Amino acid sequence: MAEPLVKIVDLHAEVAEDGTEILRGVNLEVKEGEIHAIMGPNGSGKSTLAKVISGHPAYEVTEGDVLFRGESILDMEPDDRARAGIFLAFQYPVEIPGVSIANFLRTSLNSHRDEDIDIFDFQDLLISKMEMLGMDPAFAERSVNDGFSGGEKKRNEILQLAMLEPTLAVMDETDSGLDIDALKIVSAGINQVKQEHQNDMSVLLITHYQRMLNYITPDFVHVMLAGRVVRSGGPELALALEEKGYEWAKELSLA
Amino acid sequence: MTDSADVLEDVGAFTADQVEILSTQRVEPEWLRTQRKEGYRVFAETPMPDTRPEEWRYTPIRELLDLGSLRLSGERPAITDADQLPAELSRLIGAGGESAGQIVQVGASVVQRELSEEPTSQGVIFTSLEQAVREHPELVQRHLATAAGPGEGKFAAQNTAFWTGGTFLYVPAHVRVALPIRSFRWIDEVSSSLFGRTLVVAEEFAEVALVDELASGDFHAPTYSNGATEIVAGEGAKVTYVALQRFGRGVRHLTTDRLVPGRDAQITTVYVALGSDVTRADIQCSLQAPGAHADMLGLYIAEGTQHLDHETLQDHIAPHASSNLLFKGALMDKGRSVFRGLIRVHPKAQRTNAYQTNRNLILSPGARADSLPNLEIAADDVRCSHAATAGQLDEEELFYLQSRGIRYIEAMRLVISGFFGEVLEQLELDGVRQELIRAIEAKLYATRQER
Repeated sequence: MAEPLVKIVDLHAEVAEDGTEILRGVNLEVKEGEIHAIMGPNGSGKSTLAKVISGHPAYEVTEGDVLFRGESILDMEPDDRARAGIFLAFQYPVEIPGVSIANFLRTSLNSHRDEDIDIFDFQDLLISKMEMLGMDPAFAERSVNDGFSGGEKKRNEILQLAMLEPTLAVMDETDSGLDIDALKIVSAGINQVKQEHQNDMSVLLITHYQRMLNYITPDFVHVMLAGRVVRSGGPELALALEEKGYEWAKELSLA
Repeated sequence: MTDSADVLEDVGAFTADQVEILSTQRVEPEWLRTQRKEGYRVFAETPMPDTRPEEWRYTPIRELLDLGSLRLSGERPAITDADQLPAELSRLIGAGGESAGQIVQVGASVVQRELSEEPTSQGVIFTSLEQAVREHPELVQRHLATAAGPGEGKFAAQNTAFWTGGTFLYVPAHVRVALPIRSFRWIDEVSSSLFGRTLVVAEEFAEVALVDELASGDFHAPTYSNGATEIVAGEGAKVTYVALQRFGRGVRHLTTDRLVPGRDAQITTVYVALGSDVTRADIQCSLQAPGAHADMLGLYIAEGTQHLDHETLQDHIAPHASSNLLFKGALMDKGRSVFRGLIRVHPKAQRTNAYQTNRNLILSPGARADSLPNLEIAADDVRCSHAATAGQLDEEELFYLQSRGIRYIEAMRLVISGFFGEVLEQLELDGVRQELIRAIEAKLYATRQER
């Protein structure tokens, strides 16, 4: 049997500043090409899990491990993890005034490749990805997330996903703050990128609501509560959750 | 010790005799010799400032500058072949963009000068200041040291006494010079003192841009640059002045710059301070005519133990004039910056619009930015504002960049470039803007190499 791409083992993590424990023993395996959804109410630790996988300095792992292709990544800096193939789409993408999306993406790509991409090759690549996502090329000249609407910020995350082509895409509440039209566009974007890469890309979708899963069909659904994965199943689990609510999941976890 | 010895400090090589010698060697007209001597008198009689006056409070110049350890720059022969220039200087000149003319000063002497045919035929004068004194004495006498003369303090007085070489740019009425003109000043000797001086006179409705590039290699001992710039823009004229300072280690650079826009004239200045151990730039714009406008822009990066101090004055004397100042700085390591800016609106200067903003990005815990914006308003119908901020590279912003595979130092470079974008985009000259971006990137890359 193939080694899972990501293996999370009994992961405990706390807020570095005050020691508040958020993750209390998460176990999860993601194989190559799979789409996993992690659902949970506010405060369940699902976004923290996304940040810990990416190496956010605000959290400290106290126990357990995150293995990527069989190797622990916990000692790696966030940029090393990114270059190893882990991508985090932010719930709240950060504004970088004065830095154009094109410049930002070219710098990212150069870091990934460890050599400078030819400027014309870069332009071609950028335009082809923007076309695929139905984006106006003029968008790339704007400062990163500066003054963007919620939908634009999330689309920019998808553009980065398309350009950087990670092996693991962690989508942290990419659906939050989007109206239904924006949600459709963003979900279609994720599907397109995923389709391009098939087994070369695994996706971890972190979401509070079931509605995104109408557009992106996960292979597995996990429910997180109080810092643990309490239940795993197929797409039907998301529907049951939608119907019965997280209270139901809580009861299950206590049972 | 006598009383006078308390006042007269160690002037080292900067003696009254030296002033006589350099004026005599150049066979200067009497008015200039007198001006130099007056400059010397004020220089010698004015004590080195201590940190008691507000304008020197954050820059202990007595500790940072020991005049006694310095000597005057030597003369350099004119050169005909670019190969004869120091290699680093040649590279700098080569990296500059298109220009309508250029002048190169090494040490005490202007060694090279050229001006393309078109502006020459239009009556533009672009020579060393020394040559202009010989060839256009009335023109020079009318303006030289009228704004940045002995009255502007010890260091302006010292420059007035000791300047050599220099850059003179005159643009006749209604002449527009499309390409920028460049002036390079290079220090080639440790412990030497370069007294550069720039005089720009643009007549009515003339249009011109001058880029002053100040540079040197690194020095193991204190080395001195004391500059002065005067920019006089006639009615409706449009002058852009860019000072790109890339001195090496060891250099103490002081400059006293005065801008005088006439009626409906526009002066845009961009001060980019990247090099030197210590920089102290005293920049004042005197808005004496209605409709005059000044855009005063500045960028600086201090790393290591660099100390970069900018003092500015937007002096609104006439009504209906406007000025807009924006200085931005990035501080790393134990780098320090001082910004002290004043908007002064005189009683008759009604309908003044004057703005002043200083923003600093502090990138290391040991770095420090002192920012002191100030308003002094004696008219009642004005619009003025000032703002100063000091921000840090936010952890979330850094994590965002790193999560895209961008290494820490590259992330800093990107954020700093973005931070400076707001200033650079105000510069209309695309070629010069690109050159400034390259200079800033080169500095950030050099910093990266050392880490």
